[in-house]
Amino acid sequence: MAEITPEEITVTDFAVREHRSLWVDAWRRLISSNTARLGMFIVAFFLLSTTFAHFFWEYEPKKDLNYSLKLKPPTLIPNEEVPSVHPFGTDKLGRDIFRRVVHGGWNSLRVGIVAVSISLFFGGLTGLFTGFYENIDTTHIEKLFLFGLTGLVLGSLSAWIAAQPIQAIFFAILGVIAAYFKDFQKGKALRMVVFAIAGALIGAILGAFVSSAVALISLIWGAITGALLSRPLEGKFFSNVMMRLMDIILSFPGYLLAIAIVAFLGPGLEKGMIAIGVVGIPVYARLTRSAVLSVSQKEYILAAQSVGEGHGRIIFRHITPNILSPIIVQTTMGLAGAILSAAALGFLGLGAIPPEPEWGSMLGDSYRYLTSGAWWAVLFPGLAIMFSVLGFNLLGDGLRDALDPKLRT
Amino acid sequence: MNTEKTPLVSVRNLKKHFPITGGFLQNQVGAVKAVDGVSFDIYPGETLGLVGETGCGKTTVGRTMMRLYEPTAGEVELNGVSLTELGEKDLRKIRSKMQMIFQDPYASLNPRMTVGSIVAAPLDVHTKLSKKEKHDRIQELLDIVGLNPDFVNRYPHEFSGGQRQRIGIARALALEPELIVCDEPISSLDVSIQAQVVNLLEKLQKELGLTYLFIAHDLSMVRHISDRMAVMYLGKIMELAGRDEIYLKSMHPYTQALMSAVPIPDPDLAAKSKRIILDGDIPNPKNPPMGCNFNTRCPIAKERCFIEDPEYREIEKNHWVACHFAEETRS
Amino acid sequence: MTPLLEIKNLKTRFFTSEGVVKAVNNVSYSMESGEILGVVGESGCGKSVHALSIMQLVQDPPGKITNGEVWLDGKDLLTFSEKEMKKIRGSDVAMIFQDPMTSLNPVFTVGFQIVEALRLHNDMTKAEARERAGELLALVGIPGAEQRLDDYPHQFSGGMRQRAMIAMGLSCEPKLLIADEPTTALDVTIQAQIVDLVKKLQDDLGMAIMWITHDLGVIAEMADRINVMYAGAIIESGNVRNIYKKTRHPYTMGLLGSLPRLDEDPGAELLSVPGLPPDLLALPKGCAFAARCGYRTEKCLEEKPPLEEIDGREHAVACWHWEEIAGSK
Repeated sequence: MAEITPEEITVTDFAVREHRSLWVDAWRRLISSNTARLGMFIVAFFLLSTTFAHFFWEYEPKKDLNYSLKLKPPTLIPNEEVPSVHPFGTDKLGRDIFRRVVHGGWNSLRVGIVAVSISLFFGGLTGLFTGFYENIDTTHIEKLFLFGLTGLVLGSLSAWIAAQPIQAIFFAILGVIAAYFKDFQKGKALRMVVFAIAGALIGAILGAFVSSAVALISLIWGAITGALLSRPLEGKFFSNVMMRLMDIILSFPGYLLAIAIVAFLGPGLEKGMIAIGVVGIPVYARLTRSAVLSVSQKEYILAAQSVGEGHGRIIFRHITPNILSPIIVQTTMGLAGAILSAAALGFLGLGAIPPEPEWGSMLGDSYRYLTSGAWWAVLFPGLAIMFSVLGFNLLGDGLRDALDPKLRT
Repeated sequence: MNTEKTPLVSVRNLKKHFPITGGFLQNQVGAVKAVDGVSFDIYPGETLGLVGETGCGKTTVGRTMMRLYEPTAGEVELNGVSLTELGEKDLRKIRSKMQMIFQDPYASLNPRMTVGSIVAAPLDVHTKLSKKEKHDRIQELLDIVGLNPDFVNRYPHEFSGGQRQRIGIARALALEPELIVCDEPISSLDVSIQAQVVNLLEKLQKELGLTYLFIAHDLSMVRHISDRMAVMYLGKIMELAGRDEIYLKSMHPYTQALMSAVPIPDPDLAAKSKRIILDGDIPNPKNPPMGCNFNTRCPIAKERCFIEDPEYREIEKNHWVACHFAEETRS
Repeated sequence: MTPLLEIKNLKTRFFTSEGVVKAVNNVSYSMESGEILGVVGESGCGKSVHALSIMQLVQDPPGKITNGEVWLDGKDLLTFSEKEMKKIRGSDVAMIFQDPMTSLNPVFTVGFQIVEALRLHNDMTKAEARERAGELLALVGIPGAEQRLDDYPHQFSGGMRQRAMIAMGLSCEPKLLIADEPTTALDVTIQAQIVDLVKKLQDDLGMAIMWITHDLGVIAEMADRINVMYAGAIIESGNVRNIYKKTRHPYTMGLLGSLPRLDEDPGAELLSVPGLPPDLLALPKGCAFAARCGYRTEKCLEEKPPLEEIDGREHAVACWHWEEIAGSK
């Protein structure tokens, strides 16, 4: 046959597509979508206005009180009855609602952001580790770490019952020892018995300092924990324990659990953040875990292993950048949810402590004046909640379309 | 053929069983015997082809051999060093001597990394090159595999399948390994691109003195590139011989059927060729048949095949077969 | 005698956000009844899209048939409404797809799905349809066909699913069966079974078959005629012997050269086609293959070669230099 390999043609001659990274691509898709632009605008508006107000518009809620202006409707032009401007009217203590909505925004958004950060941090790490170690062979040090952590988690239940935090540490040590002796291929049954007895002893001896009933419960749970730790399933075992824990948290209705936690910790903005954050952990844990599981199946992870890259490098260079998309979307949507939850807690009087302004508690303070015609006291904080939630949701939708064009319909 | 030389890699009785777990506590309830006792040698500078159909365990052999999977049993030696006994640290060190090229060029490159950092990964792990040296080496590697060195800052999604596979080859070459395991490197590429990649692999072998384990399901491509080839079925090697011996004098009924099933791109020869059509499908590796693995589809199976597992033995010099009747089919 | 299928100047376009993808460009050919036509090409050459265009199954949007006629048995399918096409599909033309895993619905039994297909086009009672479904499964060589009617698709292996798909395709005795890469997802030994089966069925039933594939090996032994496609157009067509033995287009030569053959000396280097197929978003002005072609001249870059009949219906080629190529061999 004739030669059809002309010298001047090499593969390199063929121009590849326009050069840009996946993130730049996503950004371009994001700013080309009207929904996302609207969402971004709303979110930016709220973030900027509340931040500026907090730093440059002084407000002392404790001194803000003026009974002569009680429940006045929105006034733009000062008159005899209302000598000052109140675009959103005033509330039952004569406070300017506009001012309180703007300053309340600082608290509401802060609760949302901190709560989501808590969920994201703990949930994300749980998901990352459980997903990664589910299918991978662990090194010896990782095994010690994972079993120690599993011991800590299992032991904390017993520690909680006995109100003895020290117990959890002993169980963590038991886990480390269990992992250390994993290499000894002794009889499974024997190891199980030894560890069950060890666990039971830890529980019983420490529990005995509290009461005999606690000692008995701790003994039983300690025996179960010890027996579980002797099982040879490594990363899979750790992942199972952590995910069942997440299932337990998920099995409570979200708001009820948050209320219970606040009731336990006492009211206050910070406690609200923790409560909402803890309730959100399983959501992020599950999401991250499923993303990690699907990325771990990809051949480039195997390729990284075959090159000899360590587990840390694989987690941070190969897995993390590739699971960010769904997490970014969930975080944005989660912010909307957290703002709503914060408002709900505030409405029930479990959020900000009065007279600190917060959208939910403003609603809670004013709803009973609705019947007497003071619609403005409820409408404006309500609108603030609605628009901030809408903004984050729109942005989240836009991000989802931008980051994962395959999902777009 | 090569018996006087010492093998670069020798694999003895390698087994990889994947546990099937079930129940609340994830107890092991069974095993998929993906690789069930495989032995072969690879000599320096040669290409050993490994063919078989879906689910025969050929990919698992490659990965277990590289210890990407922990072997259930067996021995793997690379240059006299037992890979199966190495600890985590030494294993990572020795990985520079053996590299892998993967099947799916779309999944084997991290989409968030530039071509430059993908090819640099092995250098980062195993060498202490300066930035400049690393940059030069990457440019050199891209040039070797026929890619424009100016593309270092581009991302994998900007390339076509064949070009991506070249990036994968550049990564595998970075540390000048002795052995490259090519795991179906061409099966997801178009025909004309397949030939480009195969020609590139052959050129590199000649120039750099590489040794390949070439895993594929395409019998004619494997025969084209290999010096010797092994045919796998359901976790076991059925036959291993030089590429001409296996084509002209195959002794195992499975090899014969596989060979005859390969379509010939020539209407005259195709009309003349007689085809052995095997009945049925490959059994599930969760419960392989008793006796010989191939007995459910074998045209010459006799009673003995259902009871006794045939021994994998050297019938002629360098011609290994696992069939009770190999001596008879030979004549 | 009018041909069974005649396609004239078929053009299919996909209107995407990045531009217009010219998937099928001026395809014209005809098929006689009872003929096996192989359509060969690499991914993105338009072979599947042109078949979907015949069936009017191109997803709209973004796809659209912008030009052309498709005559099947004296009817211009492109003028048909969706309702009329529904009657044609399955009864006059049937199509089987590449992936037997996804083309059967996993929540219904195989038998139910064949019975549905039968009752859609024929006036049959359930019992009659079930009996016929059993016969069809037996026809495609599924052992214990009667009993396996009640199996779900996941209980079938890949090869058996493809057999079931063929049975479904045959259910109304179509005049034309379009098989889109039916064996690509299967192993060689299973592929051999399916090819053997289709040849047997074609002998018995006498329908025309369009076999779309990227594998020049598979169709060499079964096709009567072959169309080679590149960048949405037919670049060489003719009877099997002409395509394989008197190859005139450099791309076809490259494809054949890229295939290693069991019966050849394995030492020789493969004759590969350099470079990559063109971007269908921006096809060159001249010959689409010119950039990769060793015979390229100025003319190739400027003017698109027409599909020229060099041996009547038996051989046509779209290359300015076919005579030169014929001379050099």
